Amino acid sequence: MKQGSETQRESAARTSSGSEQAGCYVYCVARAGEQGSLGAIGIEGHEAYTVPHKGLCAVIHDCPARPYESTDPEVAGVWVLAHHRVVEAAWKRWGNVLPLTFNTIIAATEKSAEENLVAWLETEYDSLNGRFDTLAGKSEYVVQVSWDAAVITGTVAKASPEIRKLEEEIGSKPRGLAYMYRQKLGKLLKKEIEAKAEKEFKALYDTISRCVDNIHVEKTKEDQEGRQMLMNLSCLVSTERYPDMEAELAKLGNTEGYFVRLAGPLPPYSFC
Amino acid sequence: MIEPVARPHATLVELLDRVLDRGVVINADIIISLAGVPLIGVNLRAALAGMETMVKYGVMKEWDQRIRCQTLESKKTPEGSVSAKEEVPIATGRDVSRAKDQG
Repeated sequence: MKQGSETQRESAARTSSGSEQAGCYVYCVARAGEQGSLGAIGIEGHEAYTVPHKGLCAVIHDCPARPYESTDPEVAGVWVLAHHRVVEAAWKRWGNVLPLTFNTIIAATEKSAEENLVAWLETEYDSLNGRFDTLAGKSEYVVQVSWDAAVITGTVAKASPEIRKLEEEIGSKPRGLAYMYRQKLGKLLKKEIEAKAEKEFKALYDTISRCVDNIHVEKTKEDQEGRQMLMNLSCLVSTERYPDMEAELAKLGNTEGYFVRLAGPLPPYSFC
Repeated sequence: MIEPVARPHATLVELLDRVLDRGVVINADIIISLAGVPLIGVNLRAALAGMETMVKYGVMKEWDQRIRCQTLESKKTPEGSVSAKEEVPIATGRDVSRAKDQG
C-alpha cells in the first residue's frame, strides 16, 4: 500500500543515497484485529493503514528508514499534527489506542519492516494487552488551575495580621522609611503567597486525584497576564468518573480568584 | 464569581508536548535512531521549540488557524458533540474565564 506520489523527503533521500532501506512509521497500536486503511491522513499525506496481529493492529505508513527531520517549524509542526490526526482517527474508530512516540520508524533488516513490526507485536503482546486493559474506557484530559494574582494577594494580605499591621504603619511613616516598609511588605507577601500556593496545591491534588484514575503533574506554563498557574495536570479519567471530575472542577471554578481550564478528551498519550 | 467549566480544545503546544515526549517507545534494534538516542531529530526538536515560542507570542497565529481549519475540515462530526470520544480539533485553548468575559 505505497503512496502513489513521491514526497519531497523521499525523493531527496533517494537521490542522495541511491536505493534506501525500507521502513514503516508506526503511529499507534489499537486493540482491533482489522486490516484496512484509515485513508491518506498520515504524515505528508501518506496512507495510514493497519497491520494486524492476533487481535491487535499497528497503524503505519510505508517510508524510507530515516527519521523525519526539519529545521522548518512549519514543516515539523504539520508532521506532528498529522501524527496526532492518525492516532485520533484510530482512537475514534476502535475506542482504544496506544500512541507511539513521534518518529518511531521500524527498519527492514534481513526481514521486511512489516515482518519486524509483527515480531515486535508478538514479543510485546502481553505487555500491550495489559496496557489496553488498564486504559480501557479512559481518556486523557488537561487540567489547569490558575490564580488571579490580585485577588489572591488581597486575600493573603487580609488573612495575615503581620501584613495588615505593616500596611497600617506605612501610612504614618516618612517617605524613606515607608519605602523600606514596602520592601518588607513585598517580601512578606511573596512568602505568604508561596506558602498558600503549596498548601492549595496539596489540597487540590488530593481532591482531583480522588476523582480520576491516574494523574501526572506537569510543569506549570506561563499564563495570561494577571494570572499565575498553580497546577498543570494530565489526568486519565474513565467515562464513568468524568462527571465527578467535572463537578469538582466546576466547584473550584466557582471560587473567587480561581480559573480552571479543562481540555480534552485526548488519546492517553501520557499514560501508556 | 460563577464560571461554568468549559470544554476547550487542547492547544497546539499541549499536543506537541504529548506527541513528542509521550507515547509508547519501542526499545529494539529494529527502530531507527540517531546515534542510538533520539528518535526525534535534534533539528526537529529545536525547530519546534522555536514554534512554541512563536505560537506563544502570536507570530504563528495565522498558521495555527490555517492548520486548525484544515483539521476541522478533515473531520465531519456534527457540532456540539460531547461524547467521551469527541473531536479535539487543534485550537488555541479557550478557557473558562475567557468564556465568561465573552458572555
